[in-house]
Amino acid sequence: MALNNNRLKRVLMGTGALALAGLLSPAALATDAQEIIRDRCLACHTESSDAANSTFSRISDQRKTPEGWHMTLNRMEHLRDAKISAQEKRELIKYLSDTQGLAPEEAAPFRYLLEQDTNLVESGVDENLMQMCARCHSAARFGLQRRTLDEWQMLVDFHMAQFPGIELHAGSRDRPWYQLAHNETSAQLSEQYPLDTPEWNNWSKAKKVDLKGRWRVTGYVPGKGEFSAWMTAATDDDGRYNLKLEGNYADGAVIEGSGKATVYTGYEWRGTLTIDSVKMRQVMAADKDGQVMAGRMFLAMEDEIGGELRAVKDTGKAQVVAVMPSYLKAGESAELVIVGQNLDGDIDLGDGVRIDEVIARSKDRIVVTATATGTPAVNDVQVGSADSTVALAVFDQVARVDVTPTNAVTRIGGNGGEMEKVRATYRAIGYSAGADGEAGTDDDVRLGYMPASWSIEPVDEVAEHDKDHLYAGEITPAGMFIPGDAGPNPERKMSANNVGRLNVVATVDDGDSKVEGRGSMLVSVPDFVERVLD
Amino acid sequence: MKHLKSLNKKAQLINKAISPEEVEDVVAMQTVVGCTATTDPGWELDPFGGLGSLCQPMESDLYGCADACWWPAQVPDTMNTYPDWNKDVAKANEDWRKLDGIYEDGE
Ligand code: HEC
Ligand code: HEC
Repeated sequence: MALNNNRLKRVLMGTGALALAGLLSPAALATDAQEIIRDRCLACHTESSDAANSTFSRISDQRKTPEGWHMTLNRMEHLRDAKISAQEKRELIKYLSDTQGLAPEEAAPFRYLLEQDTNLVESGVDENLMQMCARCHSAARFGLQRRTLDEWQMLVDFHMAQFPGIELHAGSRDRPWYQLAHNETSAQLSEQYPLDTPEWNNWSKAKKVDLKGRWRVTGYVPGKGEFSAWMTAATDDDGRYNLKLEGNYADGAVIEGSGKATVYTGYEWRGTLTIDSVKMRQVMAADKDGQVMAGRMFLAMEDEIGGELRAVKDTGKAQVVAVMPSYLKAGESAELVIVGQNLDGDIDLGDGVRIDEVIARSKDRIVVTATATGTPAVNDVQVGSADSTVALAVFDQVARVDVTPTNAVTRIGGNGGEMEKVRATYRAIGYSAGADGEAGTDDDVRLGYMPASWSIEPVDEVAEHDKDHLYAGEITPAGMFIPGDAGPNPERKMSANNVGRLNVVATVDDGDSKVEGRGSMLVSVPDFVERVLD
Repeated sequence: MKHLKSLNKKAQLINKAISPEEVEDVVAMQTVVGCTATTDPGWELDPFGGLGSLCQPMESDLYGCADACWWPAQVPDTMNTYPDWNKDVAKANEDWRKLDGIYEDGE
């Protein structure tokens, strides 16, 4: 499968600000950054100083993520015509997100947006904020910001001035939208997302752990599969990390790449690597001890195409970090790859799992064939005295299959036009029924990602009548959905576009039976506005 | 609300709603991140969670909507933010291939 889509412009336009920002010493960075603000921003913003520090109007009373600051600076350039060089912009993003960023706990509920993992329906959004705010863009866009009441109000005023139609939409015209937004919604936001929080107070004072070193990395690349690798992060002169990544996909094929990373706010890892000659980005959050990072890696040119990514620091300790696959059917044999570091000693996959052969073994990767002789159970994977939280699920039956993403949007494109198709990749997750023997209940046991065959079907009679499944696109055997061509289609009623509402169906073979799972897919028209954060 | 499917359920409810007020009551619906839930008209979905009440094909009445910045996070609003977005594309239904996206400095 071709991993590259031609959405080149996004990359060509990019200055690579987030992964490429250099870090001078913090003190030098602070003076430099404040000088940049004085030079570049004070034509419109103002500075007030007291003995201790300087504050800048509209800038000092808000906190946001590196991407959030990036977006604001882009608007200052595009709409306000601020002049700022690419290098100055990187330094400002770094400085602002270090000194006015989000604490790990504050960003945690919304990491999907930072990870560009947007094929999902946001959950738990307050109904009022949903109606007033999360109608045009995600709720995470503001959930990832902290402001004073004044600053929330000025944000509302900016919206009103920039998008006057905001009062006329359904959901606005039934109420005095602006008054409500300015008075009540802003107050609600300043309570829910205030500038000063104990979390930020603690985090901004906490000692940050240097993330240089050797990391045991596991992840997934669509079309290639699961992989395990070593990634070394070495400090460069400019304070960034030079990255080298080397390892294997589950089938043994080599994965290799190198690149750069910058860490923001002490824990926000942003990497850009060229892996197997494709440019990819990493967005991860480090835990407080700087021992584990988790997030996502995706194509720089097509951020919908990616997979989860996890990195565990090599501290010299023995540790099991993954087993691939994470399940074994009772009564059957299979090849399993145990991934870890500094592994020594006996391999133990639990009672009722017999190791037939060790096919390959090193300190960080062990390949075995094993047979499940016992009954269904969730077993610890152990190697000598290594730390392990990794489990192997022995199961008798796949009772349920979930399709991920459960909800997705793809977009028509191509056909000679400027807009590229927006694709989506799918995976199937198998579950056994658990103790109650009933699928779809809380005690279902997650077995892990399973190979599946893929198909699409219309979502209902209307979609079937409009032949959405014939026009809107197709899915490859590897589970990549490719939407239809852009443009009016004379074959369709009213020359409709090749849009459609589909189910994506995964069929998993489990012995003699087949188990199906479904996800909803909306094939839609292009999104002409690509912002740093949806 | 978790699944698009439930949007469709809601759609049936809306179909049964008789008065405009009742429709106003249920239009605030959630959709996949990146789509707009402004649905009167909608860009990705209509108020019933379907496609039948969208302006289709979208090229036919695109500018009526872009000028009014109806979906500023999906379609460049040519009133205030991106006045030049469509300056070389007089008729979207004929020259839609020339419509390009707004790509900001974004890495
Ligand atoms: C030519 C005038 C101009 C320049 C130069 C300028 N700004 Fe602004 N800035 C504005 C205006 C007008 C607003 C309020 C409207 C808005 O939010 O876009 C604003 C708002 C802001 C906000 C608040 C945004 C929000 O989401 O509430 C921040 C932060 C900001 N500017 C930062 C900067 C920084 C940093 C610089 C220097 C790199 C800068 N600005 C340069 C005019 C300017
Ligand atoms: C009419 C559609 C619409 C509605 C409704 C809307 N927004 Fe926005 N919002 C936008 C667009 C478009 C932008 C991008 C502005 C830019 O940077 O060019 C934006 C940007 C933002 C940003 C990023 C600004 C920055 O620079 O940090 C935040 C935060 C935000 N909106 C919060 C809200 C809140 C809170 C509400 C409810 C009071 C709201 N939005 C309602 C369309 C909307």
